[in-house]
Amino acid sequence: MAEVHVIGQIMGATGFSESSLFCKWGVHTGAAWKLLSGVREGQTQVDTPQVGDMAYWSHPIDLHFATKGLQGWPRLHLQVWSQDGFGRCQLAGYGFCHVPSSPGSHQLHCPTWRPLGPWREQLARAFVGGGPQLLHGDAVYSGADRYRLRTVASGLVHLELGLLLRHFDRYGVQC
Amino acid sequence: MNPKEEKVKIITEEFIENDKDAGVGRQKKTPKVARQKRKKRLPTTGPEEMVPENLHFNQQGPVPEDSDTRPLSMTSRRGPRSLPPIPSASRTGFAEFSMRERMREKLQAARSKAESTLLQEIPTPRPRRLQSPSEKEMETEFGTEADEEVQRTQKEDDSQSYSRVKFCDSVRKIKPKPVVPPGFPSAEEAYNFFTFNFDPEPEESEEKPKAKNRDGMNQEEEEGEEEEPPVQEHKMDEEELLSAKDDEDFLLGLDHAAEDFVVVRPADYESVHVRLQMEKELLFVPSRLTVPTYKKLPENVQPRFLEDEGLYAGARPEVPRACQNIMENRLLTQEPGRKWFGDDGKILALPNPTKGFPSRPPVLTREQDIKAELETLYKKAVKYVHRSQHMIGSGDPSGNFQLDIDISGLIFTHHPCFSREHVLAAKLAQLYDQYLARHQRNKAKFLTDKLQALRNAVQTELNPAKPHKSLDTTQKAINEYKSEIRQTRKLRDAEQEKDRTLLKTIIKVWKEMKSLREFQRFTNTPLKLVLRKEKVDQKTDEEAYEAEIQAEISELLEELMEEYERKMEGYRASYQQWKAWKKAQRAKKKKKKQAVEEHPDEEMEEPYPGEEPVKPVPPEPTDRALVEQQVRERAAWSRRRPGEPTLVPELSLAGSVTPNEQCPRAEVLRREDVKRRSIYLKVIFNDKEVSRTDSRPLGADFRVHFGQIFNLQIFNWPESLTLQVYETIGHSGTTLLAEVFLPIPETTIVTGRAPIEEVEFSSNQHVTLDHEGVGSGVPFSFEADGSNQLILMTSGKVSNGVAWAIGENGIPLIPPLSQQNIGFRSALKRADAISSIGTSGLTDLKKLAKWAAESKLDPNDPNNAPLMQLISVATSGESYVPDFFRLEQLQQEFNFVSDEELNRSKRFRLLCLRSQEVPEFRNYKQIPAYDREIMEKVFQDYEKRLRDRNVIETKDHIDTHRAIVAKYLQQVRESVINRFLIAKHHFLLSDLIVEEEVPNISSEGSGILGLSLFKLAEQKRPLRPRRKGRKKVTAQNLSDGDIKVLVNIIRAYDIPVRKPTASKFQQPSRSSRTFSEKRAASPTTHSPTHSTDYPLGQVLVRPFVEVSFQRTICHTTTAEGPNPSWNEELELPFRAPNGDYSTTSLQSVRDDVFINIFDEVLNDVLEDDRERGRGIHTHIERHWLGSVKIPFSTIYFQAKIDGTFKIDIPPVLLGYSKERNLIIERSFDSVRSLSEGSYITLFITIEPQLVPGESVREKFDSQEDEKLLQATAKFQTECALKFPHRQCLTTVTDISGKTVFVTRYLKPLNPPRELLDACPNSPQAMEELVARYVSLIPFLPDTVSFAGICDMWSTSDQFLDLLAGDEEEHAVLLCNYFLSLGKKAWLMMGSAIPEGPTAYVLTREQSHYLIWNPCTGHFYGQFDTFCPLKSVGCLIGPDNIWFNIQRYDSPLRINFDVTKPKLWKSFFSRSLPYPGLSSVQPEELIYQRTDKAAAAELQDRIEKILKEKIMDWRPRHLTRWNRYCTSALRHFLPVLERNQGEDIEDDHRAELLKQLGDYRFSGFPLHMPYSELKPLIEAVYSTGVHNIDVPNVEFALAVYIHPYPKNVLSVWIYVASLIRNR
Repeated sequence: MAEVHVIGQIMGATGFSESSLFCKWGVHTGAAWKLLSGVREGQTQVDTPQVGDMAYWSHPIDLHFATKGLQGWPRLHLQVWSQDGFGRCQLAGYGFCHVPSSPGSHQLHCPTWRPLGPWREQLARAFVGGGPQLLHGDAVYSGADRYRLRTVASGLVHLELGLLLRHFDRYGVQC
Repeated sequence: MNPKEEKVKIITEEFIENDKDAGVGRQKKTPKVARQKRKKRLPTTGPEEMVPENLHFNQQGPVPEDSDTRPLSMTSRRGPRSLPPIPSASRTGFAEFSMRERMREKLQAARSKAESTLLQEIPTPRPRRLQSPSEKEMETEFGTEADEEVQRTQKEDDSQSYSRVKFCDSVRKIKPKPVVPPGFPSAEEAYNFFTFNFDPEPEESEEKPKAKNRDGMNQEEEEGEEEEPPVQEHKMDEEELLSAKDDEDFLLGLDHAAEDFVVVRPADYESVHVRLQMEKELLFVPSRLTVPTYKKLPENVQPRFLEDEGLYAGARPEVPRACQNIMENRLLTQEPGRKWFGDDGKILALPNPTKGFPSRPPVLTREQDIKAELETLYKKAVKYVHRSQHMIGSGDPSGNFQLDIDISGLIFTHHPCFSREHVLAAKLAQLYDQYLARHQRNKAKFLTDKLQALRNAVQTELNPAKPHKSLDTTQKAINEYKSEIRQTRKLRDAEQEKDRTLLKTIIKVWKEMKSLREFQRFTNTPLKLVLRKEKVDQKTDEEAYEAEIQAEISELLEELMEEYERKMEGYRASYQQWKAWKKAQRAKKKKKKQAVEEHPDEEMEEPYPGEEPVKPVPPEPTDRALVEQQVRERAAWSRRRPGEPTLVPELSLAGSVTPNEQCPRAEVLRREDVKRRSIYLKVIFNDKEVSRTDSRPLGADFRVHFGQIFNLQIFNWPESLTLQVYETIGHSGTTLLAEVFLPIPETTIVTGRAPIEEVEFSSNQHVTLDHEGVGSGVPFSFEADGSNQLILMTSGKVSNGVAWAIGENGIPLIPPLSQQNIGFRSALKRADAISSIGTSGLTDLKKLAKWAAESKLDPNDPNNAPLMQLISVATSGESYVPDFFRLEQLQQEFNFVSDEELNRSKRFRLLCLRSQEVPEFRNYKQIPAYDREIMEKVFQDYEKRLRDRNVIETKDHIDTHRAIVAKYLQQVRESVINRFLIAKHHFLLSDLIVEEEVPNISSEGSGILGLSLFKLAEQKRPLRPRRKGRKKVTAQNLSDGDIKVLVNIIRAYDIPVRKPTASKFQQPSRSSRTFSEKRAASPTTHSPTHSTDYPLGQVLVRPFVEVSFQRTICHTTTAEGPNPSWNEELELPFRAPNGDYSTTSLQSVRDDVFINIFDEVLNDVLEDDRERGRGIHTHIERHWLGSVKIPFSTIYFQAKIDGTFKIDIPPVLLGYSKERNLIIERSFDSVRSLSEGSYITLFITIEPQLVPGESVREKFDSQEDEKLLQATAKFQTECALKFPHRQCLTTVTDISGKTVFVTRYLKPLNPPRELLDACPNSPQAMEELVARYVSLIPFLPDTVSFAGICDMWSTSDQFLDLLAGDEEEHAVLLCNYFLSLGKKAWLMMGSAIPEGPTAYVLTREQSHYLIWNPCTGHFYGQFDTFCPLKSVGCLIGPDNIWFNIQRYDSPLRINFDVTKPKLWKSFFSRSLPYPGLSSVQPEELIYQRTDKAAAAELQDRIEKILKEKIMDWRPRHLTRWNRYCTSALRHFLPVLERNQGEDIEDDHRAELLKQLGDYRFSGFPLHMPYSELKPLIEAVYSTGVHNIDVPNVEFALAVYIHPYPKNVLSVWIYVASLIRNR
């Protein structure tokens, strides 16, 4: 019966080697959570920063959950994509972060990574674009076996989330 | 040697030379000898001892220190010390070792030199020479050690020692030089003293310990070795250096004692054997030999192998045999308890805990073995593609998926070429198959046994010998058994009967076949039936039969008795009820009599004819004899008679077929025909042909064998899989026999596992053959007289198998939609159940069991215990297996609340519903924060709607058909709206970004720099006002009261005028009706409002306009005359539903703007003429004249409505006539074409102007040819370029949401027969009637039902079924009717007022064109100024589309000749010929005759409801109904319908006058198509008849429904008010 309201935005990204970036995002929750309103996933526009190296999206996130348990606290998973000069898109990074569990405004910085692939693929990526992508995207947030992957770090995604919690104290949860 | 040292040497040498120069007559020899000695001596002392030695020297002799030389000597001394001979920085053992070695050598060298100097005292030896003997000595003495290294070090040592000697010399030379004290020994003596002093070795040995103390580290190891040489030296030197001894003694008195302390002993050594011996005593070495088993086990115990006994032993870790033996031996010796040994005589061991595979594989080997969920795939950089419905698994073409279709063969169960015998053979074979199947199951036997068992059970239960059970349970059990017995018996009887019938049929068919063969004297089929008889024992059989019958009878009796009891009870109860009812009835009747007397009005209410309870009849008791007879009859029918042998049919193919030569000609022809035929199959995948089989000849047995396997590489998810059976006859063309639909295999079915299935097919082709073949679809008979005809259709079976292929490495090639369900390959496949069969396999327990069996899972392994248990449970199928998989098991325990509670929360529910955009909550503004603040009634509407979704309610809809249609429409609407809501969330760039157009010089309209630049220079003309575009307002930031609807009523024409007494007036006879003659409203009534004559200046009519919108009513002032001019602006506020001003909400506003025209009548209420002088008492009455209805949606989409509209005036307005009628007599034709009705000029707009919503841009999928679709897009863009405002239509959306080319809708369709029969001789009248029929179908605009959504076109049959549609549907239907009547007709797309963009129908008469409004049924000539159609966009015919490319688009000014390419641009032209598109319309329309009785009933109900409504609307007054008038009106209405509301018979009016002579009468008939009740009520309400509050007013209301075919109903409502004239 407790409620969690997440209102905020995906501010943008820094530290990516590519310039024109956009972000696909989604929220993943456990079975105890019920989305009352809002969209679970989305995609931002493409931003090509002219000044500085931060790509600004300022993409709104407006989610309202009701929950009957703490398990599966919502987490955001992000995919940063880059668009090249021909308008083609390729993956620039995977990342995920938990929605904070204390009320108030939060600044989040979500580091991202992408799979590296064998040298042939690296070479192909450098010259013709594209790149290795996870076949099963949930490895981003669920993989205990992720150490097997060879990855390379990409940039940071910045988020600004405001949290409103309700009725948690009723069930003995302090936040 | 480094240069520095060299330099030092040089310096010292110079010193030496200087010394020599300075030396006073010194002999050359002695220094040299001394030098030699020194040289020999020096190395013996370690470098460490140099300093103390020096100090020692200094102490020995009072040698004053020379500050100059000291540092020099120090450096020179340090040089060789600090630089090790072998460049090695660290003081390692090697360095030490080499140092030791060096010292030893030097010692050796020094010794030998000393000897040689002593020997060669006199002949002065050259020091250089001496080197070689010493070397030689070394070789001889230490030959073993003298290897290269040693030599090298030696050389270095030599040079070192040489330098050292030199500097020693120098030291010596320096030292004595300054120290020359008088009385002391001379320099020579001193020199000798010093030099000789060094030689004695004992001193050395004594000094050694000191050095050792000082620097133990280095010296420790040297000690042992160096101990000996000094001793030896000492011995050697003892004799040689006698002279020096004195000096020694003098110097070191202690040396003698040192000699005493030292004892020389040989090195301690123990031999190997001794040592081994000692070790043996101390150590225990276990043997490596295998320990015999008996030693490891207790005495007389046989080893026991658990694994052999079936227990789980586990895999032992692998240990080398030798190690194991050693261990065993050791254990046996050390701990004799044998507790370390198991029963099998082996050491106890746990199973190997290590995994067989590395849990952390090296990173570099990731290519070979990577977990499936971490697999990455290189994806090319792709352009962003919009989501489309066609692609499944978009952009994932990586997988190649394969479907294997195995077509093994085809068997015809009927074929046109079947001879009669074949038909029978097929039948026989079929029956025999059935028989075999039944025989195999043998259900009858099973049921008999079961029955027997049940009977036995009942017997035993009844047996009183079992007292331990309580009576209750026994009784219950018996009852259960009995009911089961009953059921089983029924089943068994049915089965037996079936068996017997089947057998009989088989025999019958076989007999028929035999007779046929005899008759035709040849045989076509090899079939042969043999009946085998099995004898049975007559007596036992009879007994069993009788017993069975008896048992059955008794059971039946029992059953019947029970039934009887029950019935009796029921009877008693109902009898009681009936009695009670009778009593009540009697009482009621009495009451009623009283009631009737009190309220005579109520007598209309008949006591509803409820079914009277019938007096119940007591049931009859059963009769045993009757039952027995029944049982016996049944047994005789369904069972084998006792003693009759059982028959077993056997079908064989042993018969022989008559060869061709012996057959008659017809049969030979047949056989040849069969031979000519061949069959092939096409494989159609997703409606596309992918492959086909070879063509195979049809065999004489009508079997075709293909045996082909097709591998389909597929990309899309399979939707349909069809086999088409084609037949080729000779060399002529092929015919499609039938289509066989194959199911898409489940993902679990892969090649190799797929069973071959037989799929039946049949075709409806009709074939008649001229030979023996019986043909298909044609009747034929076995009888000679042609009776008992059979019609057989071609049919057969295709045996096929469809399965998913398996790739090279065992992966099933199944499309990705389900790929995760299928096991992925893995090296661990065998070890891990989940990876082997996939997670979904875990729920499929059979699969799991199979896997367990395949992988030889050890059932005894405790690790597998839960799995094995699960499998055993599942396979035994006994206990409950949950068919779910709990994902988060622990969730439940941590839940705050239960699901129910969560769902019960009203707040959450409200939030969810709002976000789902459920219509009721779509624009709900604020949701309360607490549950208690939310009212329960919020959900009531919604819940009711959900509940009623599937319940068809007939309360609102009097007509059931319409109720169903309404429901259906509702559902279509909901689904479309849902789709639309989804589509609404897809945004285009233009939705998000507003980009101002870049100013352009050349652009005409919006350019700042263009023409508008010149406008600045224009002269200002303030008196010439210019229209300025209003600013459009987006709807978001509006609230209630911001929006107003402005209605500007300008003027009206030809308002009907009041009629004076018209008793003498005669209507002109109208015999010559032409097309241009429209209905002429010519109502004349008798009832005069003014008794005075009708002078010229008299006010004819005083009309005013009342506008009502959303329950707000405004009206204009009253004007006078039939052509009034008001010129007034009325302002009506607009409220959006729920206060939501979003586009979608506004689009769905369904309110109409009603513009009613009334006549204001002043009635003198004064009844007494005497009072007339004193005051004026008048009563204002208003009489409704007509109305115009404009839907808000039209205003919203059009932004403004400006024009002259025809007023909807009822065909009969009692008391009014048109002024024109008076003129008509004079100028009949001139006026007529101008006005045939009343018109009103209006201007309506919304303030502020709203942005109309756009229609959905969603591209619907289509089944049209891609080329055609491209052509349409091209055509439309071309047209839009030229004339952007003209409507061009090529494709439309059908009701299922698919894009369809528009011409497919046009096709001649038959109008109802009755309409054609109505006026067979006048085609014009027929056309009018047809148009009227079409217009009677209710109008339902798409834009309202599907707010903002594209038009949906339904086909004509759908339209007629739904009985609702908008302009397009009406127009299409009308156009189709005209086409079928043989006229040239087109669909005309254009815009009209007030509808906006709409569809009309254009027909071509001999000389002119007519424009039909399909919704009203009216038609207009091309040059009719009052034609509502204002512009023409395009014309659509059944085979082409023509776009208007003329300069003007008004129908008045254009040429309708479509053959002129300059005026009309056609879609299909020479470059793109018409491809012959098939129509979407049905072949013909089927009209059901409407039930007249139902219509009459509906008519009564409507009348009743309307009457009630009128009474409801007059709550404060008594409403009286004038029945005479009503009945008069009732007679009048059918006449109106017959004349389509145009002519009114005079005699009827006269009749009215006669009957209602002393009444003032005002009323009118309303006419409308029937859709539902609400519009009727609205219409009656809007006339305001009920508003009369004159006390003695009476009302009359009559309803007439004229049924047209297909449930199209024309409703007439005559409503009138009567006031008695006093």
